[in-house]
Amino acid sequence: MFNDRSAVNVAAPHNRIDARYGGQVESPDAGVATEDLHFLDDPQEWSAFSRPDPRSTDCWESNVLIEGMHCAACALTIEDALLSVPGVLKAEVGAASHRARVVWSSDVVRPSDWMRAVQTAGYRAVPANDAFARERRKSEARKALWRMLVAGLCMMQVMMYAYPAYVAAPGDLTPEMEQLLRWASWVLTLPVILFSCGPFFGNALRDVLQRRVSMDLPVALGMLITFAVSTAGTFDPRGIFGREVYFDSLTMFVFFLLAGRWLELRLRDRTAGALEALMNRLPDSVARLCEDGTYERVPVRRLLPDDVIRILPGEMFPADGVVLQGDTMVDEALLTGESRPVARGVGGMVIAGSHNLSNVVQARVERVGDKTRFAQIVTLMESASTTKPPLARLADRIAKPFLIVVLLAAGLACAFWWGRDPEHALMVAVAVLVVTCPCALSLATPAAMLAAAGALARRGVLVRRLEAFEAMASIDTVMFDKTGTLTRDVMVLGSTQVREGVSVVQVLDMAAALAQYSLHPVSKALVAAASETAASPAWKANAVNEIAGGGVSGRVWSGDATQTATDLRLGSADFCGIKVSQSDSLQTCLSDERGWLATFELHEDVRSDALDTVAALHREGIAVHLLSGDSAQAAARVAAQVSITEFQGDCSPQHKLDFLRNAQQSGHKVAVVGDGLNDGPVLAAAHVSFAFGQAVPLTQAQADFVVLGDQLGAVVKTLLMARRTLRVVRQNLWWAAIYNAVCVPLAVVGLLPAWLAGLGMALSSLLVVLNALRLSYSAKRLG
Amino acid sequence: MDILYLLVPLSVILVFFILGGLWWAIYRGQFEDVESEGERILKDS
Repeated sequence: MFNDRSAVNVAAPHNRIDARYGGQVESPDAGVATEDLHFLDDPQEWSAFSRPDPRSTDCWESNVLIEGMHCAACALTIEDALLSVPGVLKAEVGAASHRARVVWSSDVVRPSDWMRAVQTAGYRAVPANDAFARERRKSEARKALWRMLVAGLCMMQVMMYAYPAYVAAPGDLTPEMEQLLRWASWVLTLPVILFSCGPFFGNALRDVLQRRVSMDLPVALGMLITFAVSTAGTFDPRGIFGREVYFDSLTMFVFFLLAGRWLELRLRDRTAGALEALMNRLPDSVARLCEDGTYERVPVRRLLPDDVIRILPGEMFPADGVVLQGDTMVDEALLTGESRPVARGVGGMVIAGSHNLSNVVQARVERVGDKTRFAQIVTLMESASTTKPPLARLADRIAKPFLIVVLLAAGLACAFWWGRDPEHALMVAVAVLVVTCPCALSLATPAAMLAAAGALARRGVLVRRLEAFEAMASIDTVMFDKTGTLTRDVMVLGSTQVREGVSVVQVLDMAAALAQYSLHPVSKALVAAASETAASPAWKANAVNEIAGGGVSGRVWSGDATQTATDLRLGSADFCGIKVSQSDSLQTCLSDERGWLATFELHEDVRSDALDTVAALHREGIAVHLLSGDSAQAAARVAAQVSITEFQGDCSPQHKLDFLRNAQQSGHKVAVVGDGLNDGPVLAAAHVSFAFGQAVPLTQAQADFVVLGDQLGAVVKTLLMARRTLRVVRQNLWWAAIYNAVCVPLAVVGLLPAWLAGLGMALSSLLVVLNALRLSYSAKRLG
Repeated sequence: MDILYLLVPLSVILVFFILGGLWWAIYRGQFEDVESEGERILKDS
């Protein structure tokens, strides 16, 4: 049953029809399949997403993003579709990355040919302009994995060699055998020090050059000294450094640290790339009016101000401009947060990144590229993220005093013994340095945070920056965005008033008969409400006409012919030709030939756990604000529903950013929860930020936590988890401090046998890791 | 127990062989897309 055709059918049901896009753009079977791609056949355009294949002269290697793809079956279908095009030599589709790599021969085939094959299969191929940045990240990830595996494998073997020395009875192990095991350990520690530790030494060197101290400096110093002492112990057992070796503790420590860093890198990469892919959200090509009155498809990059372009329903505006011809509804939710479609007639401004919902329009381009509002928001966001308030990492703050104390202790010990036994003095100093190797200190933070991140990931919260835990634990204010955060994007029907003599159910059915022809969110809400009551779904409509900014009109009759057909109008009060009392809620009217028939009151669908979440945050002593780009009344209504007392409507991205900066300057630690593009700058500038899984990719890229499910309660869960994590981090740091406080004096007076020092080092690391793992178990109580 | 003088050096060499194998696996991308190869069996052709 897994032939190609059925694979497409399997794929189709997952295609999430996003309410914001009018259900058309992202859905493969909704008519974008005829998009003109010929502009891509210009070889000048190729270099953005392709490069010549080095192995043969006329072959190119291209990277494309695939839209509408959701599972492995889709990947196979697309591969088949690509390979069936003559001239395509190789096609690889990544099921997880939603990307395809295509090798094709420019003699035989053009990019538009194989892209059309992808469209015929029911998907959409978009040139991936960020492919080469991704490749760099990939090689970085490979190197990190390779470093970790080298350290891990060598650690295992070194432990084997170290084992006999710990368990053998005196005299069991011949000196020659012991020497052989040491040499073997030394050989296997060499790649760990020379290769795996590279990043630590690199960072330490950078710290020294920049005259500052981070945790990497004591770590690198500890590693280097331990290795030097162990090497001396191996090759010159009677030398001044003594005859002890610490290869096993050294390799284990390196492996732990590298494993932590590799996991951190994977967390980062899981959502990275969204930023680079963002520009793919603007369309690649657009129909431009030529002088002879025909349209040609040109790349968006070639657009100039004063060009006239045509945008079909379901398409996205590629540039800011003014409508010359046509009446339409546009969805600007991504940019302004305004949840209702806005009407744009002749002379109206349209902005890049918004969607054309209902009619074909012609527009004159005014601003392109970097000057569009879309690009300005992106720039605002980038600059906001670089001015993020600095949060010194707890461990880095400790690093400096730690280093000073250790060096001081070693120096004192050396000076103390110098007078009586110069040979012994150096050995004691080294013992101090080895025993304080900052294993536990440097593992304390990452171990706890990784364990917490893993526990949260199982509950649908992805952690993008581990440092965010420290900030999260100390926040005192949460700012919510309204649309898509506290509320869902869709609207729901509230109360209904009807003319005497007609039933609510009947009126609703009549309205739904008209509304099903419209993509307007209000229409969708009416259809959804009607399908729930489903009394007699027999009302039908024809001659339906939709006027942008007004409403829908048409002829409606009942299916069982018990009622006569009537002409109905559904929409604003003006459109229906009636007067209604002013109300601050969103109303839609229905009228027939005799006048007013019904009024539907609609409101936004507040998330079911919004009230509980706000209450829980208040209980934890956290102030909650609501900032919305929507109108002040809409903000007030939602605020009242979830019992938020501080709210503000009509906020532009800049407003929100100013509000946040003010709060930060008066000493508040602020977390922001948002999802629209206009939340991007605030998310980037906040101490901690949350984005929802359905959010715009750029918003996700700027967020510290990405909530995958629909649960607002994840914010509270994350808060509790962050506080618990910080508690464990502190315990770990205390333990490391106590361990050092006990061992250093012992080492200074020369009472600490070397084997005990090595064992203590290893145990302190293990204990810290085990303490951190408690987080994943205790997380079960969070539910 | 003299055999140990041969076996211990041999084990060191063995580790380097295993490391070579890991290097091959990582840089051939064996750990990057772990799911789609398994799902390839569902393919008809």
